[in-house]
Amino acid sequence: MRNIRIISFAFAILAFLSAGASAQQVLSAADKRIIADFEKRANAYYQFRERIEGRLKKLPDNATPEQIQIYKTSFQQSVQMARRRATQGELFTPAATSLIRRIIKTEFVGWKRSELRKSVLEADTKAVPLKINVPYPESQELVEMLPQLLLVLPQMPRALRFRFVSRNLVILDRENALIIDFMRNALP
Amino acid sequence: MKRILLSVLSLFFCSLVALGQDAKPVSLTLPNAKDSIKFLAIGDTGTGSPQQRELALVMAKYRKVYPYDFAILVGDNMYGGEKADDFKKKFEEPYKDLLDAGVKFYASLGNHDESNQRFYELFNMNGEEFYRFKKGGAAFYALNSNYMDRRQIKWMTDELAKDNSGWKIAFMHHPPYSSGGRHGSSSGVRKVVEPLFIQHGVEVVFTGHEHFYERIKPQQGITYFITGAGGKLREGDIKDTSPLTAKAFDTDLSFMLIEIVKDTMHFQVISRAGETVDSGTIQRREQ
Repeated sequence: MRNIRIISFAFAILAFLSAGASAQQVLSAADKRIIADFEKRANAYYQFRERIEGRLKKLPDNATPEQIQIYKTSFQQSVQMARRRATQGELFTPAATSLIRRIIKTEFVGWKRSELRKSVLEADTKAVPLKINVPYPESQELVEMLPQLLLVLPQMPRALRFRFVSRNLVILDRENALIIDFMRNALP
Repeated sequence: MKRILLSVLSLFFCSLVALGQDAKPVSLTLPNAKDSIKFLAIGDTGTGSPQQRELALVMAKYRKVYPYDFAILVGDNMYGGEKADDFKKKFEEPYKDLLDAGVKFYASLGNHDESNQRFYELFNMNGEEFYRFKKGGAAFYALNSNYMDRRQIKWMTDELAKDNSGWKIAFMHHPPYSSGGRHGSSSGVRKVVEPLFIQHGVEVVFTGHEHFYERIKPQQGITYFITGAGGKLREGDIKDTSPLTAKAFDTDLSFMLIEIVKDTMHFQVISRAGETVDSGTIQRREQ
């Protein structure tokens, strides 16, 4: 009986994931190549920051506030220095920007303006600078990302996060809090 | 000069409130049984404000008669900054009495919390944004509703599927159901978590984000609580006409005390003034 429940549940989850991935199902071969390229670029950044993090003192799972602050600051400064010549668009290439904009638009079809405003646009992100290689201010909230959208956006290493800043989409490194890249007018 | 006068007045007012709290006797509606699972639930705490501290005093006062040994935080543990001093001002100092008494806090992350909080020793997250822990026959799932990606959904699915605990309890920041005027129900999160909760017999879900207390009428057998007035208050934000509300309170800060005795969960909600604003029981369903 228990096995039947588990199997039926597995099917339910598969159905959910498939439904969530509806936007991906209409992707062409060219779209898939763009996504693969985006994910490759995200992975390249991840490998790069892993090398930098490897040189820092490891943060234990039971850290003090001082240890967390030192770790974040030193990680941030090291990556900033190493990426000082980085430019906007290294991950969000023109092709990726266009495709991601389309994926987001598809996902938000049917949304009322008021719903969009409530879940994304009302968040307090006014003081977030739309610049790469600068920290996301601690005082600013992190907009909740819709799970359905995360299922259809390209997959990134776990340290990297998509976040909306007003209508724009940024990629944030969750440990050093740096904005790695951004694209404008991501939201419809 | 004006600022000094305001500070003095504010201190005077806070002292009056504190005096009021001292005068208010502890009134426990929970059974306070031997060997039961006793805990506290609170959220949206991290302001470091006098009001947060006043509520913390009431929490400590209640612990003297109701010895809960752990607390769950439903997110927004740190508003406005996360320097080392912020951890002290917004968490360690307000809850010093509880921490000194050995109360263990288990945190989840809100939209104002950086991911690095998962490394903080006093949040007991062991470096994870989402995790599970057990207390007696109850399993607790701390979820990150602010970034519910494929990895987290898979983790939840796997963990819940193999969990035979008598009680399965989830806590996270965003409320799948809410009567709040400012935010309201987080329908995106609900679409993902609710099927999992139903399928695997999650009985109770604690959330925050809304700066008030609300007990939602059971939804598909699951009881949802919003306990997001631990440090901030959005007074008058609850829609009076909401069909979701079983009980709501949005005129003062509040926290929840919970006790699990076998198949019954008892709860009591207490305001900063020490008033009991809600209480009741939830029966565990047949699995």
